[in-house]
Amino acid sequence: MRTLILLIFINLSLFSSNIKKDVPLVSNKLYINECGACHFAYFPGLLPQNSWEKLMSDLENHFGDDATIDKKTFQTLSKFLNENSAEKNMNYKRSRKIVQSIPKDKIYIAISKTPYIHKKHKEIKKHLITQKEVKGLFNCTACHQGAKKAIFNDDDVDIPNYGKWED
Amino acid sequence: MKNLLLIFIFATFSFSSELNTYLSNLKKEAAKENPNFKEFNIKRGEEIFTSKHIGKKGKKIACTSCHGIDLTKKSENYFTAKEIEPLSKKVNPTRLTDVKKVKKWLRRNFKDVYNRVGTAQEKGDVLVYILNK
Repeated sequence: MRTLILLIFINLSLFSSNIKKDVPLVSNKLYINECGACHFAYFPGLLPQNSWEKLMSDLENHFGDDATIDKKTFQTLSKFLNENSAEKNMNYKRSRKIVQSIPKDKIYIAISKTPYIHKKHKEIKKHLITQKEVKGLFNCTACHQGAKKAIFNDDDVDIPNYGKWED
Repeated sequence: MKNLLLIFIFATFSFSSELNTYLSNLKKEAAKENPNFKEFNIKRGEEIFTSKHIGKKGKKIACTSCHGIDLTKKSENYFTAKEIEPLSKKVNPTRLTDVKKVKKWLRRNFKDVYNRVGTAQEKGDVLVYILNK
């Protein structure tokens, strides 16, 4: 009887903690149209709110490009990013790991520079990242087959001119 | 049938009228900037679109670096490899219909390629070049 109760408790805690994979799959049409016009529309759950705020504060020099938008668009996109940012989704494995990897006094605006994402890509040979089919770590969809569905596990990785990634 | 034709003509007209208004505004502005200005010119537009310049990132690029030479074909962003739909209205009729969008990209892309804003004449020239493709 005691074991049974214990098992029920374990079960309950497992379900209630509700640990999910990767990052939340959220979408916004304006976000896809505006940000997704030039690069993969990164999920807001890949960076904490302070990162998104810093990034949005200098769209005139957005990784070297002019990505300025009108005020109304800016407000809509900021709201979408902030409401779905990583630190609000700590029940998602990768959102949590990204947040936990960032030192308190640091604000990263490049997802690939956050310690967790940097570490996860460290073993990949540089020429595979810089090759023309990929160009850089910013190009998630080049290797992560399910990136658009917010799937980022190792089994889903297929690197051009290399193949499946075996960890 | 006649009604359908009328609707079609009206639709075509209203689609392009927004851009035509923008072009005529640019024309007035260009005349103010340059007293010798007469008309927008496809040849000048081609030069603007295909010539290379040191852009905002310090790299030598042209509009064609991202949009390609053949505007009826898909291309990709030179820096991010993100796919770009064709600019030509022949294969992509909705192109250059939303003036707000047109202004936004002219503003951004002149900065990205020329590292400065475009003049009214340059904007008009490059628009008539793309419209002709």
